[in-house]
Amino acid sequence: MTAVNGLWTTSVGSFGKPPELLKARTDHAAGRIPDEELDRLERAATERWIRFQEEIGVDILVDGEMYRGDMATYFAEEMAGFEIGGLVRSYGNRYYRKPIAVGAVQRTHPITVEWWKYAQSLTSKPVKGMLTGPYTIADWSFDEHYGSRREFVLDLARAIHDEAMDLVAAGARFVQVDEPAASARMEELPLVAEAMGIVTDGLEAHAITHICYGDFMRAYPTMLDIPVDQIDLEMTNSGFDLLERFRDIPFTKAIGLGVVDVHSHEIESVDDVVRGIKLALEVLPADRIFVDPDCGLKTRTVEETEAKMRVIVEGVRRVREELGIGSELPEGKPTEGRHRGAPIPA
Amino acid sequence: MFATLVGAYPRTPLPGSPFKLRAGYGQLDRCEIDADGFRAVQDELIREIVDEQESAGLEPLTDGGIRTEDPLTYLARDLDGFEISGLLRYFDTNTYFRQPRAVREPRWTRPIAVDDWRFTASLTDKAVKQNVVGPYTLGRLADTAEVGQERVTLALAEALNQELRALADAGCPLIQVDEDAATLIGEDREQQRLFREAQRRLLAGFGGSRDTHVSLAITMGNADAAGTDTIFDAPYSSYLFDLIAGPDNWRLIARAPGERGIICGALDARNTALDTKELLIWAAHYAASTAGRGLARVGLSPSTSLEYLPRDRALAKIKLLGEAARLAAMAGTEELARAIDPRAVDIRSAAFGRYAPTARKAAEEAQAAQPAEELA
Repeated sequence: MTAVNGLWTTSVGSFGKPPELLKARTDHAAGRIPDEELDRLERAATERWIRFQEEIGVDILVDGEMYRGDMATYFAEEMAGFEIGGLVRSYGNRYYRKPIAVGAVQRTHPITVEWWKYAQSLTSKPVKGMLTGPYTIADWSFDEHYGSRREFVLDLARAIHDEAMDLVAAGARFVQVDEPAASARMEELPLVAEAMGIVTDGLEAHAITHICYGDFMRAYPTMLDIPVDQIDLEMTNSGFDLLERFRDIPFTKAIGLGVVDVHSHEIESVDDVVRGIKLALEVLPADRIFVDPDCGLKTRTVEETEAKMRVIVEGVRRVREELGIGSELPEGKPTEGRHRGAPIPA
Repeated sequence: MFATLVGAYPRTPLPGSPFKLRAGYGQLDRCEIDADGFRAVQDELIREIVDEQESAGLEPLTDGGIRTEDPLTYLARDLDGFEISGLLRYFDTNTYFRQPRAVREPRWTRPIAVDDWRFTASLTDKAVKQNVVGPYTLGRLADTAEVGQERVTLALAEALNQELRALADAGCPLIQVDEDAATLIGEDREQQRLFREAQRRLLAGFGGSRDTHVSLAITMGNADAAGTDTIFDAPYSSYLFDLIAGPDNWRLIARAPGERGIICGALDARNTALDTKELLIWAAHYAASTAGRGLARVGLSPSTSLEYLPRDRALAKIKLLGEAARLAAMAGTEELARAIDPRAVDIRSAAFGRYAPTARKAAEEAQAAQPAEELA
């Protein structure tokens, strides 16, 4: 019998879309194919990714977000109070339609629940509920209504809370609320935490937030005050340097450990993944580590996505074998770590 | 009085127009066009952007930053001494840059921006400025762990001085040095000293007999905590300040030497809501009123890059900017009051001085105050 379980494999959320779906989305936007045809292809692609994750042995699955474009815009499109603006660039040749708040924002209907139910119906393994956090939706939108960032963020927090509660009511044990914008403004980290407190209030699930591409060194340890059970961090892109800080100021929650770079075509070796996991094991126990890519893989091709996921699973398998770590999943309930913030300095 | 971009402009198309640049990237990836073919796609977009600026009444013009991947990589990849590393968020935006990693002291080996500036300048009779990211910002945002921030920054200052000289020798009339990281200096005396020394080395040979006007641009926040001694030490001819993300930069403007120019970044470049021309005009007049500067040494600009906006909103904003600059240059208060919301003139602001309505205007106001039946 294995004494310790841990190093669970998962993904941050999105996967590469197959070429036929990319074409269909373009055709649909141009009115050349009906909603039903796009929906059929999105479901087929979702099923494909669920089967792939099962086949390679991922522990906690995602639906791959085949039906989403930009992570903030997708939610804004479904809420009252938003208009969708023109394209803006984020990096290189990547663009998104940035939402504009033109009235009080509110959730008028469940947004992701049917997709989650569909994905979960395809597998007996747990599928994560995937939401974009209120701070990030607000930060990545234009505001022509509120004039107060706090009011805007907190209205969104109430909307995302309702969505999270509906996911849990539908059976989700793991709910991830992505806040990639959280580390952009240190002075607003308390607002991120306040909003997340609204989102996770009474949420009977393992609550995760994902943060990436910010100044982690400055955001740490304040980021620990965000009331979630797990913080998922991009680590490969920043050379795992944040782990060193955990030696001085302990990380008080479970971690999502990014071990492959999502912005590189190059496929990491299994040895690279093993090295990253072992670095983390120097400062955290295995039962508080979830292993995944740095960020969503939607910018990669299907083949690159598959290859990166395979090295993650293989790397974890190798470390588990070497150290005798089991793969039995956590319950998917709130943990003590949710409200365990930054350690108080001695 | 003039209006100008900070630098970048949306590379996205206007609604209903084809997205040729994105298609060009795709063609390049699929090897359907080569580097020259892709450059031709960029050239066409730069032509459009120059036309839009000209139509809006802007001058000096820019190439919209179309050839830059991000604010740092454009120069860093062509300087000796850097490797290009992982993605980082640019300040508090939802845009990213690849972090340069210094592996030795950076060195200038050849002109980097000169041909690009020449191309844009060939498209118009108006003055075209060239942006150059400053040594402090490049050194501060780069990974300098192996070499040290100070060594990298000062070597960069000397390397970029050669780039500035190459641009000046090519006839570039205006170079804008972008130092957004000045907003990170604060009260740190060592960083203040490093900033000053870097600017001195960067501007060596400028500020005297050379014809080229060199301007310092600081966007993305407040730089006032660094102090006037730090910001105004080097002999820049003018300063562009973000007054939306950095409203405290007004304190710097109020203390800027009167013989130096000020460009007020008062047009909100990060929100779609259209600004009011009254506010822009007020900003210009206020800056003109400080230290006896006068309107001839004042310009208007967006608060930062306009690339954070969709193209149609950016276009609407630069039209407003051009119009505000035209109105702000009007000599008579009466004329200006007729052209904008008169309340912006009637209030006795520091910008407009004490303004008393003329007899004619007073008569109009008295008439307006009469009950309707009396007028009938």
